[in-house]
Amino acid sequence: MTDIDTSKPLVELRDIHKAFGGVKAVDGVSVNLYPGEVVALLGHNGAGKSTLMKMLAGAYPIDSGDTLIAGEKVHIRTPAEAQGQGIETIYQTLALADNLDSVSNLFLGREKMTRWNTLDDHFMEVQARKVFHRLNKNFTNIRVPVRRLSGGQRQVVAISRALYFNARILIMDEPCAALGPEETAMVGGLVKQLKADGVGIFLITHDMPDVFSLSDRLAVMKNGKLVGTYRTEDVTEDEVLGMIIAGKRPEGKEQAPHAATAAVAA
Amino acid sequence: MSNSTPGWWRRTGIDLRLILMCVLLVAMGVVFSVMSGGVFLSPENLYNVAQQTAVVGIVSTVMVLIIVARHIDLSVGSVMGFVGVLIAYLQYTSGWSWPTACLAGLAVALLVSIYQGWLTAVLGVPSFVVTLGGLMSFRGAAFLVADGKTQPVNDEFFQRLGGGYDGGIGTTASWVLAGLVALVLFGRMVQKRRARQHHGMPTEALWLDVLVTAVPAAVVFAFAAVMNNYQISSKTEAQGIPIPVLIWAVVAIVLSFIVHRTRFGRYVFAMGGNPDAAALVGIPVKRVTLMLFALLAVLVTVAAIVSIARLNAGTNSLGTGMELYVIAAAVIGGTALAGGSGSIFGSVLGALIMQSLDSGMLLLDVPIGKRMVIIGQVLIVAVVFDVLYRRKFGEN
Repeated sequence: MTDIDTSKPLVELRDIHKAFGGVKAVDGVSVNLYPGEVVALLGHNGAGKSTLMKMLAGAYPIDSGDTLIAGEKVHIRTPAEAQGQGIETIYQTLALADNLDSVSNLFLGREKMTRWNTLDDHFMEVQARKVFHRLNKNFTNIRVPVRRLSGGQRQVVAISRALYFNARILIMDEPCAALGPEETAMVGGLVKQLKADGVGIFLITHDMPDVFSLSDRLAVMKNGKLVGTYRTEDVTEDEVLGMIIAGKRPEGKEQAPHAATAAVAA
Repeated sequence: MSNSTPGWWRRTGIDLRLILMCVLLVAMGVVFSVMSGGVFLSPENLYNVAQQTAVVGIVSTVMVLIIVARHIDLSVGSVMGFVGVLIAYLQYTSGWSWPTACLAGLAVALLVSIYQGWLTAVLGVPSFVVTLGGLMSFRGAAFLVADGKTQPVNDEFFQRLGGGYDGGIGTTASWVLAGLVALVLFGRMVQKRRARQHHGMPTEALWLDVLVTAVPAAVVFAFAAVMNNYQISSKTEAQGIPIPVLIWAVVAIVLSFIVHRTRFGRYVFAMGGNPDAAALVGIPVKRVTLMLFALLAVLVTVAAIVSIARLNAGTNSLGTGMELYVIAAAVIGGTALAGGSGSIFGSVLGALIMQSLDSGMLLLDVPIGKRMVIIGQVLIVAVVFDVLYRRKFGEN
């Protein structure tokens, strides 16, 4: 795809609020994401980044605030509705049913049915084999329960969901946390490939090398509030750590509410 | 879908564990037969064991799914008693025809089940607590229906549903049925091989597929042959396959189909394997749970009908203690109490093992106290075996 329109945001989250009991988990946060862009979401554990993303993914309802997808206001109330908008999520826990095999997990919630309205297992197996092969050529034991797979193979299954169902917006929550170096490189390569295809990616991570090698912009959260959004190339690792730990904005650095390419066009 | 089999067994689609249970069942048959001087394996006794097992077996098939989804239902015995007395009461005291009475019973069972399912799925009350209350309440309700009086059931056709004197389908029908089952089994084998070839997937060696198909077909023929050998002395024709067993078989086949071929079945297993993941990928967890409880209601009603037809009456004590037998059959059949794993066919074997043990000891004049002690400990052995087996083959 060459005709990716990078001038309009794919996702806009405006003034999002979410409270659990009396705790304000997300407090007036606004971020956006452009096509073909990777935005890293950073912050301590409990800063609210996962909660924010779970609202976009339909796992939690939003208390107040607007969600716009490709400029249109939408109400995402369930994971199925998020999927309908082309939003795919790779959770840190991977969200796999351990007792089912890889094929069942890939299609879980979106099974392909035959015309008799029964599960089309053969079709699903053939398709699954193709996607898994794209990510890992050595992954062949796809009919055993996923609990018996290695961390990398389980990750392949989780990522395959986003790939097979043609994600337009991808949320990755700590995608490399449980992976070895080789598999981490595989995820990195995949992120770049999806970017080139125009997919917008929210990347939640604690890993600074990942942030600086993969992301275009970064948004830092602390105690449910947004500290700031910056172009990744504009800030240093120390400045980012300062934002995460102390909530301190780096002096003399300009915030970046829009994607790099859009800023140039404007 | 309990994929716990090592080695080449897996490729045949057979669970090694189910084979072990078949072996155990055969061994029990041989031991009891020797000890009882051949009475245990006589057609008459096997006919009785088969139809006695049907009621527990019918409810066990769906109990497997309830446990797989990380729930439990302790109220099945009481609800069955309640619905059973109600159906008998409507026929005997209110004079309704048996089909209307059964439909009314089904409606009431659905109400009960949806109520308990709603408390569990929507309000999030643990099903253990909800159905523990139900165990007491619906036993009381069974008493209230007819003020504790026994309600006889006189309709001759209805009585046949419970087996008994006219409750076999006869020799010819039994042979025809066994033949049809064998045809379907082989047809499915051919269809499966074709489908795999069509999608460019490897098929098993022909001899292996044929063997895997021929053994169950042979068992069905053997069963028909035994049932066709049992003749009540006052009748001119042999009994053939008892109707309750037929109902049980249909229920088990339908539930197996649901487990392996439908979305609903897959979602039940996914919810049991990882409830959080099931919700995150967009499975409507509450709706599936409610549907599961509704399915339970249907099968509890079927069991109630078979039960009162067999006893020719509905009594307020109908199904007392049955929940334990039902859960035991599911657990012996390899259903993990932690959820996420279990098989319908396993529950069929589990129910047969339980009933054979009970009836074998009865034949040997083992007193009731000892029988209860032994059956209770057999359940423990089954769970211990389950734990060890899963540890050995990498399931937890």
